[in-house]
Amino acid sequence: MLEIRNLVVDHGELRAIWDVSLDVEAGERVGLLGANGAGKSTTLGAILGIYKASGGHIRYKSAEIANREAVQNVEAGIALVPEGRQLFPEMKVRENLEMGAYPRSARGKVAENLDRIFDLFPILREKQNQNANELSGGQQQMVAIGRALMSSPQLLLLDEPFLGVAPVIIEEVMAALNRLADQGVTFLLVEQNIHRAMEFVERAYVIENGRTVLAGSKQQLLGDPEFSNKFLGLD
Amino acid sequence: MTAIIAQLVISGLLLGGLYALVAFGLSLIYGVVRILNFAHGTLLAIGGIAASIIFAVYKLNPVLIAVVLVLVFLVFGYLMHIYLLDPLKKRNPFEATIGTVLVTVGLLLIISDLAAEIAGPTPKNIPLEFHAYIVGEVIIQRAELYILGGITLFTIALHLFLKKTWFGRAIRAVTQSPLGANICGIRSKQIHAQTVAVGCGIVAIAGVLWSLKFPVDPYGGFDLTVRAFTIIILGGIGNLVGALLAGLFLGLAEVFTSFLWASDWAPAVSIVLLLVILVVFPRGLASVRK
Amino acid sequence: MTGSATEKLALAAIFAIAVIAPFLGAYYLTFVFTMLIAYVVAQSWDWLHGEAGYVNLGHYIYFGIGAYVFSLGYINELPVVVCFAFAALFTAGVGAILSYPLFRLRGDYFAFATLALLPLFDLLAANLKGITKGTDGIPLPPKGVIVMGVDVKVFSYYVALAVCVAAFFLTIWLARNKFGFALKAIRNDEQAAEICGIRIFPVKLKTMALGATFAALAGACYPWAYRYIDPTTVFGLNVALIPIAMALLGGTGLLWGALIGTILLGTMQQMLLVQISGFQATIVGIVTLLIGRYMPGGLLRARIVRGTPGLGALGKEHHERLGVRPAVGAAGEALAIERRTIDPDRTILTCNGVTMAFGGNIAVNNVTLEVKEGEILGLIGPNGSGKTTLFNLISKIYEPVAGEIRFDGHLLNGLRRDTVSHVGIGRTYQIPRPFSDLTVQENIAIPLMFRGDGGLARDAALAEAIKFARFAGLEARLFDRADALNLQQRKALEFARALACRPKLLLVDEVASGLTPAEVRAFVDHIREMRDKYGVTVIWVEHIISALSQVVDRLVVLEQGSVIADGPLREVMADERVLRTYFGGSLKEHA
Repeated sequence: MLEIRNLVVDHGELRAIWDVSLDVEAGERVGLLGANGAGKSTTLGAILGIYKASGGHIRYKSAEIANREAVQNVEAGIALVPEGRQLFPEMKVRENLEMGAYPRSARGKVAENLDRIFDLFPILREKQNQNANELSGGQQQMVAIGRALMSSPQLLLLDEPFLGVAPVIIEEVMAALNRLADQGVTFLLVEQNIHRAMEFVERAYVIENGRTVLAGSKQQLLGDPEFSNKFLGLD
Repeated sequence: MTAIIAQLVISGLLLGGLYALVAFGLSLIYGVVRILNFAHGTLLAIGGIAASIIFAVYKLNPVLIAVVLVLVFLVFGYLMHIYLLDPLKKRNPFEATIGTVLVTVGLLLIISDLAAEIAGPTPKNIPLEFHAYIVGEVIIQRAELYILGGITLFTIALHLFLKKTWFGRAIRAVTQSPLGANICGIRSKQIHAQTVAVGCGIVAIAGVLWSLKFPVDPYGGFDLTVRAFTIIILGGIGNLVGALLAGLFLGLAEVFTSFLWASDWAPAVSIVLLLVILVVFPRGLASVRK
Repeated sequence: MTGSATEKLALAAIFAIAVIAPFLGAYYLTFVFTMLIAYVVAQSWDWLHGEAGYVNLGHYIYFGIGAYVFSLGYINELPVVVCFAFAALFTAGVGAILSYPLFRLRGDYFAFATLALLPLFDLLAANLKGITKGTDGIPLPPKGVIVMGVDVKVFSYYVALAVCVAAFFLTIWLARNKFGFALKAIRNDEQAAEICGIRIFPVKLKTMALGATFAALAGACYPWAYRYIDPTTVFGLNVALIPIAMALLGGTGLLWGALIGTILLGTMQQMLLVQISGFQATIVGIVTLLIGRYMPGGLLRARIVRGTPGLGALGKEHHERLGVRPAVGAAGEALAIERRTIDPDRTILTCNGVTMAFGGNIAVNNVTLEVKEGEILGLIGPNGSGKTTLFNLISKIYEPVAGEIRFDGHLLNGLRRDTVSHVGIGRTYQIPRPFSDLTVQENIAIPLMFRGDGGLARDAALAEAIKFARFAGLEARLFDRADALNLQQRKALEFARALACRPKLLLVDEVASGLTPAEVRAFVDHIREMRDKYGVTVIWVEHIISALSQVVDRLVVLEQGSVIADGPLREVMADERVLRTYFGGSLKEHA
């Protein structure tokens, strides 16, 4: 479904991504792991089209999408839940969600998708007329996920969705993500917390200094001394 | 005494409502594009002058004049953003700041001077047929009613536009979180240009309403920009209701300053208020609420 | 002055023309007089803009105030010298007072607030009729049109010329002086400037007052020569912006920028004045707009000018005019850092119940921590656990809402950032914040110039900076601007600059991310060397634990703003709670 080859991304004069390659099959749950500043968020941004690729390929359903506008990618079925949520603080929860359906192709199914999201996160139905900045961190995260779902994505890019979310809510969000996966949504998850990431994903890539350095299934990685080394630093 | 106060309140509301309209445009533009357009109030001045001249020559209905001017200003705003402002954003912040200041100050000088050269430096307005209603001891002119009505209708329309339309919501979204808006598939460059266009269009309406009662001075534009900026800092950037209240407050403050002290000092109210607000809250009142 | 032959020639030619102009007739006298005045205003504006980065659109008010004070003194029959002194002092005072509110603002807010000063002073001049005679203006009495046997027009001309010469040489002095380096640091990054030991507000205030003084002197010459003054001539929007347009046209922050800009724009205006009536403001507007749109760096920075032999010399940036070349030094040469003997039992830093909240969000919660002299302490924790906030509290970016921080006998609460730097705390930023438009050498020299002990002289600091650059592996890029460096080099520069503050305690914020393993190893060696050779205590925030594990003595783990573990590396990494919160549990669970 998604195929990235030798991706290079520059932020101004600084190179953030040097050489990232990865594959995601339809229906898979794939993790993207690595330290702060390794280039995980930039990779997700480049897939959605908010950062320009300076080199390499990003193919989605066999079409080249590197440097396509974000709106085209959203219409094609990719959505991003960004780091730090990036909600519209002084818009109502419902308006926040509706903004997720901004691309023309999504506008027809607003009511249907709202229902789906309110079923997934019932608390949002109650709070739909509150401003987003009045919600707790966990509820805001639900809004961010819900907003991404408003364009009926097939590939969902999640960037640190559990950061600043209370443990109880994490369980609830995790359950919702599992339900979405059962409905056939494909996931690419960026997460710093290895434990939690490994709870959700089947396969993962490790990024270091803007390069993919390790890849494998959950079992392979957990058995790999190099992997635990990278994250624990104890040999 | 009550009659005088009522009369003053009406004048203050009129003036303040017009200030608020000017501020709406500046607020939308500043919220989305983060560029402070120093020429914003000057646009009202040339809008008002153009309206007066069109009225004097063709005797068109002011509503029709407003429609024509809005279209012209929309195009002007769009082109101004595409050719003058947008290219500056590629620079480093230091050069971008000085660049936008120079470009908009340059525009201010050009359009006010051109207006004065072409139309003459004397203030102009649309001389509607005088007709007044008398309620008790209070006199209300028909033109004043038109202006109050126009302000009210337009504020409601703008509110609905920002709340209900995809375009209006996109403007709010970009104001509140540019990255979030980008993720939703909003094309930022397009929205920026369109917002500048809309901001200028609003000024055209304010200009026509203004000229129904007050003479428009080609050089008076910058004072209006100061007022508009005071209003959006007081009311919060991108906050329509806040801007309306702040505008009305400023209008009333000026009218009462003129009455109680001297009309010479009325223009100082907004400047002093602006400086005091900026000094007490260096990032604007909006930053205080968070 | 290290000027080239072209520059000396140009200066001599311009000066000669200025000296003889009054002899060419009344037309040339007025023409050049206008330019002299404009140059002083433009140049004094550029001290604040070109050097410190503040767009003061209301600078012209100082011209106006100077003109009014002079005129008021003059009509009260005070001696001319006294009138000048009053004008200068009073205006300097206004500039100093305005500095307090204005420098709370930055960027376009500063620009807007200063622009609003023009209509405000216009109103004051027009309405305070008792003092200023309002819009009628103040005519100067005909008595005094002959000064020491010379027509006052000619006399005031040469006074203005003297002020110009003073302004020009003051510009050279400013750019080369330590004071000028403080301004350049402020222009790039005020917080980083403070971290380097610069107390920024007095520097800004002095620059504002100095600029005000010169504008006032020019302002005083004006009514003296023309014998009349009214509000619009000195506070009008379109006259006020012309000198600014001149400085920007030439090139802001360049020695020749304001001068060349004044000559070009002044001449153009004069020619237009003769040929067209009207549209004056339009032309100024068009020029202003075009400068803003197409050449924010000014004419002298344009590629064509810089590429032309001879002319290129005029467009030299200040740092191209100095630059102390490296002496051939040994690679292992010692840094000029005092070698401290470590007393490992002595506590150098104590945090006691330190708490920081942003709104309702508690970022650092009741942290109590002790660091011994000579220790290398690792600080870890998940994203958002408060590590960087704790650093920001220690280096006084924030003031804690509760708790005490003591360092080396000083209570840090309430201290300024520059003082904290002076008592011996150096830091790096997670995302490097070098002074972008300065060279590597200048970046490192700045903290050396502004140390607590008064600092090194400029040349000594620049020479000393070379050693630090060498230590950090940046010798080859000494004369390159910091914004031309790659990430790794920026981090190295940040490190070198922090060392140049001669810290007793060094706060290192995430330096390993983005570096290759070899680069990380080199960095670890540097940290160890700093401790072993110079006795520097280090706190290192890092996500990459493999980097930390090579060097730290002790590890502290933060979670949600609280310390959850504190002890030797191995103990902490085996702690169940740490594993669970930081790594989410033992990896073995999944296998």
